[in-house]
Amino acid sequence: MHIKQEMKGDVLLITLFGKVIGGPELMKVKDVFLKAVDQGKKKVLLDLGKVSWMDSSGLGVIVSGHTTLSRAGGALSILNATKKIHELFIITKLITIFETYTDEQEALNSFGE
Amino acid sequence: MIVRPIEIRLPSEISVLEPLQLIIEAIGRSAEVEEDDLSLLSVAVVELAKNAMEHGNKNDPEKMVTISFNFFPNRIRFMIDDEGSWEPEKALGFKPGEGKELLLTRGRGVLIARNLAKWVEFGLTPEGKTRVTLIWPLT
Repeated sequence: MHIKQEMKGDVLLITLFGKVIGGPELMKVKDVFLKAVDQGKKKVLLDLGKVSWMDSSGLGVIVSGHTTLSRAGGALSILNATKKIHELFIITKLITIFETYTDEQEALNSFGE
Repeated sequence: MIVRPIEIRLPSEISVLEPLQLIIEAIGRSAEVEEDDLSLLSVAVVELAKNAMEHGNKNDPEKMVTISFNFFPNRIRFMIDDEGSWEPEKALGFKPGEGKELLLTRGRGVLIARNLAKWVEFGLTPEGKTRVTLIWPLT
């Protein structure tokens, strides 16, 4: 798994690449959310469009990120969840707590609303 | 086509999950599971293997998880055995998709496996160890 971060205005765009599978790699994602809050970046968009495989461990880290950001008064939204990842969000009902988008600009604009 | 089960034995280590994912997809491919469904099959089996490592084997790398599989004309049967005798209802007796438990960071594995595979059942091996049986229908 590979992680890319870039600022889009005041929104931190985090893109994950490859397999999001259990293990130490996942802690890196958790750390990214924690560091974002430490640095005052409370609007985060997580792009899952390049994730080829993900299981419940990946969902757990995303939930952790949501909690971290929410407690800091921020928000985490999801961009480009593949059909299979979207299915996991539906099965686990996490779809009810995350805003999901397929258009980056629309997702970025949503933080300003 | 019914053959004797083929077994894979894995130590209870997170590092085996990625190879396991590839093996399960290869098994699915050989049974002509649709290409689009292979990753769903591997997610379901990997989730159950992780549970076996954690709840059955307490993540002790000396303890093994055994995954055996059979091909039948219209389904694949996977059996995931660990070395413990844990009670799934106690270990998994919460509903990660409900109420305040929606925001738990863990505990969604069986929920996901059950939804993807349609048939997941907990039981015991003849030796009294925990066994999970997963049936993957073939279309």
